[in-house]
Amino acid sequence: MAKGTIRNEIRRMRFEHCEMTQQELADRAGCTRQTIIVLEQQRYVPSLLLAFKIAKVFGTTVDAMFKMEEA
Amino acid sequence: MKVIFYSIIALAAAFFAFYIPVRRAQRRLPPIELPPGESMPVTPLQRLARRSLGLVLALTLAAAAVVVLSGVQVWWESDAVRLSATGLLLAALLVFTFYTSRIWSWTARDDGSLDERDRAILAGAPAGQAPAMLVTLAAWMIGLIETHQGTHMVHSAFLYLIFWSCLMVSVLAQLAGVVTGYRRS
Repeated sequence: MAKGTIRNEIRRMRFEHCEMTQQELADRAGCTRQTIIVLEQQRYVPSLLLAFKIAKVFGTTVDAMFKMEEA
Repeated sequence: MKVIFYSIIALAAAFFAFYIPVRRAQRRLPPIELPPGESMPVTPLQRLARRSLGLVLALTLAAAAVVVLSGVQVWWESDAVRLSATGLLLAALLVFTFYTSRIWSWTARDDGSLDERDRAILAGAPAGQAPAMLVTLAAWMIGLIETHQGTHMVHSAFLYLIFWSCLMVSVLAQLAGVVTGYRRS
């Protein structure tokens, strides 16, 4: 199976949603701001539950937020 | 004795032979970019672990200083000295109990104070406990054998010291595992 990385659109979505702050997103998704920062820097892959929560905050789907890039 | 000593040296060398490439690979992670003038926010667990580590380390070192400065014989025979060292160690355990109870409380509340990344770091934190305790036991073994080789008699006070040192090293290793976990991830 090919190795891959999960990339996300959190930073872009935040700015498209009235420049939502990282803290506001963290509060609404039920995680810490540090987790949002490492997610935006593509250094952490969230669980399916957190991925759904983040997608719900932006009113979109997990598919639209997270993409797998094959190495 | 020399065989045991060189075996431990060989094991330590093997550990570092594996550890250094892993650390190098981790350094290849891109650095976290933050807006100018802004530092990485500290999570509640990170703050609690740092403070607990500092307190437990200070209390443990203070207890060790009491034992070392008074000498094992005096420390063991004087109730006041022995109780003061034990009191410091119990205070350190109290700090660790407070740390653990805060984590339980955050887990029960589930309000975002402790998120899934924190839980992953917590789960990986005990990884250093067993090696740290083994190194402590090895240090005690080598030290006691080297110093009491001639008499073949070891003071029973050392059993007490071995127990406490292993317990405190285990606690410190777990707290250090949380603190370093945030740097690695």
